[in-house]
Amino acid sequence: MTHFEIELEKLKNIIIKIGSLAESQVVESVKALLSEPIEGKEVKKTENKIDKLDVKIDEVCQSIFALQQPVASDLRFIMAAMQISNEIERIGDLAVSVIKRSKSIKDKHDLIAKFEIADLAKQVELITSKTNECFLTRDEATIGEIFVLNKTIKNKSEDAIHDIIAEMKSHSKAVVSGTNLVIVMKHLERISEHCTNIAEYVHFMVNAKIIKHDKFEDKKEE
Amino acid sequence: MKDTKIQVKDLSLYYGEKKALKEISLEIPRNKVTALIGPSGCGKSTFLRCINRMNDLIPDVKITGQMLVEGVDIYDKNVDVVNIRKKIGMVFQKSNPFPKSIYENIAYGPKINGIKGKNELDEIVEISLRQAAIWDEVKDRLGDSAMGLSGGQQQRLCIARTLAVSPDIILMDEPASALDPISTSKIEELVHELKEQYTIIIVTHNMQQAARTSDFTAFFYLGELIEMGKTNAIFTKPEKKQTEDYITGRFG
Repeated sequence: MTHFEIELEKLKNIIIKIGSLAESQVVESVKALLSEPIEGKEVKKTENKIDKLDVKIDEVCQSIFALQQPVASDLRFIMAAMQISNEIERIGDLAVSVIKRSKSIKDKHDLIAKFEIADLAKQVELITSKTNECFLTRDEATIGEIFVLNKTIKNKSEDAIHDIIAEMKSHSKAVVSGTNLVIVMKHLERISEHCTNIAEYVHFMVNAKIIKHDKFEDKKEE
Repeated sequence: MKDTKIQVKDLSLYYGEKKALKEISLEIPRNKVTALIGPSGCGKSTFLRCINRMNDLIPDVKITGQMLVEGVDIYDKNVDVVNIRKKIGMVFQKSNPFPKSIYENIAYGPKINGIKGKNELDEIVEISLRQAAIWDEVKDRLGDSAMGLSGGQQQRLCIARTLAVSPDIILMDEPASALDPISTSKIEELVHELKEQYTIIIVTHNMQQAARTSDFTAFFYLGELIEMGKTNAIFTKPEKKQTEDYITGRFG
């Protein structure tokens, strides 16, 4: 392996690491939402680790750009790495927000059951793990699954938000919990969006084609 | 490619029994820079020298196929090789000024082409040196020996000497490989400016130089043209795996 290939491998490993940390934060956030409150100390520790790795990735990429002048697939990998790290860091932050917000939802379990949120939360967990998988395997079929999952999550979230708002309109007591739940729904939706963005960067890495603003139908075709 | 200056059809070159270029077909566009890249011995310099028939000087060389410049096959037996070389200038890896004054280096070509008037020669010398971005550095010492110039200045002087005989095409064989980064940057900037008026073909081992200076890149390997395309495409997403391996340094 050349010195340059070792540098690329190092970068890949940091992304795998930051990705798995963000995934663990998402798993914790789903747990916090669906079952018990989560110990804040561990979550904070992981958040700090993610932030440090995010900076580390920027530094490694900067150094590769300056010293190795990458081209073709190497160039695409490093460009994607910088974007992916940014998206992963956002996923981590959103998961922490879900954990914090879940604490202040009264009658959480009843509301979750009523608006069928458990299934949606599990799908967000799934899309996060699929995203890490697709970076590792660069598998086109997994990228496609992520696009479809994101669409499903978005639709389910919109339906749930619609129902929560209807509930708040008819029962003023539900407004505080309902609002918190809507915010959580939006956070979950955003996590799913960031996963989709990562899948788009992986697609760019593999195929040299930028699809980030394409319509869902066009992406599926890809 | 819409505006083709040079069209190469099935060009093969043999050094005795050895086939050094294998059925090369490509089109070189007018007023663009085309870079030829590839590992040592891949045939890129041999190909470059085919464009002004410099390989004619090597014994046992046989060439088949066609090299059409403006639609005329320069290997046709009725073509005058001196006329071809007038229209196709060449700059080499090592600067090779004549051991004469700066002025004489530039005026030499026009003089042997029959230009005698001092005013006309003065004008050609100034225009050529300006085009080669060296006028300001030498205008006050045109009578000094060209051998006293720095390597980078000598190379730009050689480019000016090439321009003085008004060629259409400029061939450059690793023109900056022996120069420091500042002189290299001047040569690259010059190449960029000259393409407005000339069709330039440049052989380089420096990938970044090919990427920075050229509009099109052709990758040669073992005497074959593996891939030719827009430089932007070659350096971001080459079609062929061999090209990708070469430009990313994973060759062999």
